[in-house]
Amino acid sequence: MHDHIWLFLATLGYLASAGWGLYALGSGRPLANWWTLSLILISFALHTVFLHQRGEAIGHCPITNLFETLAFFSWSLVLTYLVVGPAYRMSILGAFTAPVVFLINFFALATPVDAPSNLPHLGWQLELHATLALLGFGVLGVAALAGVAYLIQERQLKRHALTSWFYSLPNVGRLETVQENVLFWGFAIFSAGVVLGFFIPHSGPDDWVKIAWSGVVWSLYAVLVTVMALGWLSHKKTALLSVAGYVFILLTFWGINSLSEAHVFPHVS
Amino acid sequence: MNSRAHVVCGGLTFDEVPVELREKVAFRDAQLPDALREIKRMLGLREAVLVSTCNRVEYFGATTNPELAAHGWPEFLRHFHSVSDNFAALSFQMRDTACVEHLYAVASGLKSMVVGETEVFGQLKDAYDIAHSHQQTGKWLNRLFQSSFAAAKSVRTRTGITRGHVSVGSVSVELAEKIFGDLKKCRVMVIGAGDTGERTARSLQRHGVPTILVANRTFDRARELAAELGGEAVKWEDWEGHAIDADIMISSTSAPHYMLTREKLETLLHRRGRRPLFLIDLAVPRDFEPSINLLDDVYLYDIDDLQSIAHSHLRERQTEIARSLEILQPHVARYMAWAAQQRDAPETGGLTGDLVTA
Repeated sequence: MHDHIWLFLATLGYLASAGWGLYALGSGRPLANWWTLSLILISFALHTVFLHQRGEAIGHCPITNLFETLAFFSWSLVLTYLVVGPAYRMSILGAFTAPVVFLINFFALATPVDAPSNLPHLGWQLELHATLALLGFGVLGVAALAGVAYLIQERQLKRHALTSWFYSLPNVGRLETVQENVLFWGFAIFSAGVVLGFFIPHSGPDDWVKIAWSGVVWSLYAVLVTVMALGWLSHKKTALLSVAGYVFILLTFWGINSLSEAHVFPHVS
Repeated sequence: MNSRAHVVCGGLTFDEVPVELREKVAFRDAQLPDALREIKRMLGLREAVLVSTCNRVEYFGATTNPELAAHGWPEFLRHFHSVSDNFAALSFQMRDTACVEHLYAVASGLKSMVVGETEVFGQLKDAYDIAHSHQQTGKWLNRLFQSSFAAAKSVRTRTGITRGHVSVGSVSVELAEKIFGDLKKCRVMVIGAGDTGERTARSLQRHGVPTILVANRTFDRARELAAELGGEAVKWEDWEGHAIDADIMISSTSAPHYMLTREKLETLLHRRGRRPLFLIDLAVPRDFEPSINLLDDVYLYDIDDLQSIAHSHLRERQTEIARSLEILQPHVARYMAWAAQQRDAPETGGLTGDLVTA
């Protein structure tokens, strides 16, 4: 489809942001300046144009095949960064978000996963359920990236090995605050998406594969958020579990979706 | 006499002259107006700036007779400070390009005892402001000093010359800020009333720590130090109870055994929640059991760790000197090019506009 060009250009922008971020972290140069912020904003705008055009073309929220789902998922990561970054003065998160977004988009563009689907009438509940679940994954992803930044900084402080990253990364106090707050919001949005899934009118048998997987993911995060709120876990273990939980999502989401018939639309033959 | 104008400088610095001699010829700010008038007269300068810090006593000037300036400097010091020492052999003298390079390097902290320190920048600025406000500078030194400030800023932003702290106290502050961020909500507990512990507590206090508790075996000494730090003295037998609320603990006792074992701290941590704890062990033998550092949310640094970080920062700064000098070169060249252009300019303030560029 012609709309790929917008996603391709956005992906180039994310690649440039990722490259600069890694260079700045290694060399101790300032991460945030007007042009790096402009670059990520322009990339996000191009990314949004792609999703809008695709949504207009198919008449649905653009999450009807793996390609669109990947693009929407990476878009939600950038959106969360753009909300969290300025709110917490954490431009550093851009250096962690941009490489992940680039890799997701690269995978989407480089593999033949953009197959047109026969779309039934989805209904607003289904679209909202899927949108909230993917947005929740995006927010949980940024929480995991903040967790990675925390673990890097914590490790440097523990090992008394202060590299140039030590000066570029924020203090561990701020990283743990951001990581835990974003984790909480990600869990809340994901929970809303999961709950909405139970109210989708459908015919035929329930999709037990997806329900079981969602239940496991939701339970993992529910336990993590609860013990975090109760103060039973150290900041390090909270960050580690947040990252591990997200790795679990990334590794299992695609496989589970392919096994789950109700979450795959039949391809046009 | 050479009728061309030269920028010149000379003086005594920490690397050549011991403090016993430097302190004899240091200038207080209040003395500078008189000293500037006198140095201009005795050294034949048309413009003058005097820089007097704990590490250097230097003059910068513009003159048509650099030899007179070089010979007059030791005599000026003896005369003004009424001392009999001979400073001629101990003083350096420079002119033109060498002098410009020297000032730019000093302003950038490249010639400081602690390479990259920024205090000298402010001291040069103050010295220049005093001379300027007393009409002792003109076009040569105005341009020279202003361009030196721009050059120093460029070095600071483009290199790592000022990065990292180089003393135990400032490294401790840097680490505390990387753990807690804002220190304004932190409580510090000082265990033992040693000098290094006191200095470290003062450094933290200067960076915003509002509450300092002091515990010492001798309660009177604890009270004395607490009064000096504006803190609160704690009885020795009660220090563990107060440690629950502390965010930073500095220990420098002479105890022959660990004051805080891992087992004891685990009990404390259980009662204090998930707040991070920064432990600074300045004692030899050490006061905190090293395996404490394995506990989550606890950051333990002993004196060797802190000194090792300070030394590595200093080494990193020294590796930045060559890059800093490269950055300074275009600034020096610009000043010398401007100076060469002044050859054709009409005389200003009685000083010919000609400056030797070699």
